[in-house]
Amino acid sequence: MQPSRQRLLDALNHRQPDRVPIDFGGSAVTGVHVSCVAALREYYGLEQRPVKVHEPYQMLGLVEEDLRQAMGLDVTGVFPRKTMFGFANAEWKQWNFRGLPVLVSTEFRTVEEPNGDILIFPEGDTSARPSGRMPLGSAFFDTIVRQEPIEEERLDPEDNCEEFGPLTDEDLAHIRASVEEAQKPGCGILATFGGTAFGDIALVPAPFLKNPKGIRDIAEWYMSTACRQEYVHRIFERQCEEGLKNLARVHAAIGDTVDAVFLCGTDFGTQTSQFCSVRTLRNLWFPYYKAVNDWVHANTKWKCFKHSCGSVEKFLDSFIEAGFDVINPVQCSAAGMSRRR
Amino acid sequence: MPELQKLYDAVLNGDQKTAVAATQEALAAGVSPMELITNYMVPAMDKVGSLFECEEYFVPELLLSARAMKGSLELLRPLLAAAGAEPAGRVVIGTVKGDLHDIGKNLVASMLEGGGFEVVDLGADVAPEKFIEAVKARHANIVCLSALLTVTMPAMRTTIDALKTAGVRGQVRIMVGGAPVTEQFAAEIGADGYSDNASAAVGLARRLVRQG
Repeated sequence: MQPSRQRLLDALNHRQPDRVPIDFGGSAVTGVHVSCVAALREYYGLEQRPVKVHEPYQMLGLVEEDLRQAMGLDVTGVFPRKTMFGFANAEWKQWNFRGLPVLVSTEFRTVEEPNGDILIFPEGDTSARPSGRMPLGSAFFDTIVRQEPIEEERLDPEDNCEEFGPLTDEDLAHIRASVEEAQKPGCGILATFGGTAFGDIALVPAPFLKNPKGIRDIAEWYMSTACRQEYVHRIFERQCEEGLKNLARVHAAIGDTVDAVFLCGTDFGTQTSQFCSVRTLRNLWFPYYKAVNDWVHANTKWKCFKHSCGSVEKFLDSFIEAGFDVINPVQCSAAGMSRRR
Repeated sequence: MPELQKLYDAVLNGDQKTAVAATQEALAAGVSPMELITNYMVPAMDKVGSLFECEEYFVPELLLSARAMKGSLELLRPLLAAAGAEPAGRVVIGTVKGDLHDIGKNLVASMLEGGGFEVVDLGADVAPEKFIEAVKARHANIVCLSALLTVTMPAMRTTIDALKTAGVRGQVRIMVGGAPVTEQFAAEIGADGYSDNASAAVGLARRLVRQG
């Protein structure tokens, strides 16, 4: 039987592994809900203890080494220092998640509304407007859109770039420490550094910012990809520039110790179709994807990982041409995406 | 004489500013609101729907056209109400309880409005009692339920059951839709119709109204 990391590397390098490598929990798009992690721990007879919610937006539970081994998983994850709500998971506190005891960051601060909905605050700052809502009966947060009225003449792409700055020394130290930890079990490593997801609709409303500016409404963003393409290009250009600088800094810090990098989770598909034409994909996204993937391939041994929900069969050739090595199309019920194809 | 084709083109091209200006110009010239809707806006939205179905238009273009059409409708709605014009049908629409996703629902609502329906949009995360209240108050004959998540799909069944219990199921035809919803699921929960896109939802609503 192959060691997990070798199995992953063989698959990534188009060599036949002994079996398909498996990842549950290695990234935000291959993650497992905290309630499922708790149930899996019980199923496998592991120590019963509150599971850590490492990503509060989707309420993803940390798949720790004992569960990874019990499930026969081949991949472990490296995550950015800050969560989708803009706070770090530096220290943990217990939280009652509708009957399930879990661990959350000490900066995970919520209020419950009279109807049972739970609101969460960016950077854990309860004096800011809440940026996420978990309705009663739901199991994770949805973004609260905080869109200021748009004055067309005053739109400035810089307003949509607040989140694309240089990684701090603290961020880099976190990545270095996380990689060291992830290397211990000897499995494959999928890393997420952030900053290279171009127009990811989960990130556009910026639930991690206290006062997001620019175009933050979801429908408005989608319309902008058709009617304000120059504006979107300016954002992507700036984001790409910052993203490449950050990747260089990360590589200088950790070298080739990780196997794949989750670069972008922008969803291009609906259940039945795409969100845009192949032509728009190639005009608006392709140059930036190619720039990032080309840099990764020229300077590292990392493989480039792309997620997209929905029906994206028509985009696969472009994704490959742009340099993506791994595609994670979770919605296999969407048109043209069945596993058999 | 106003250039009415401009209204058609503006809705088709998703140009809200021009759509509103063309509507104002037409109204000032004495063109009836019903003529604008029937001869220009409905055909434009029908064309938008067919472009969407043949994948020349996508969600962003649909949203732009819907916004242009809504801009015009804002001007026409009070005039239609004052004239007592009868809509193609009265629709109550919402995303079911526990689900905050509303883009698909908003598109269906806009396409139905563009198709000549009166639409009462209850928003997202709508409890069954709100649907019942709106059906009674607005004498609706169509209810549209939307869900994006597998975990909120059961709320569609709950809502239909609540409509039955409240004694209003017989007066409405129920349409369901949303990414995880299928024709089979629609049949299982007792819905009258399912559509996998906003454009086809208009045709389905028209058929259901004709069937009575």
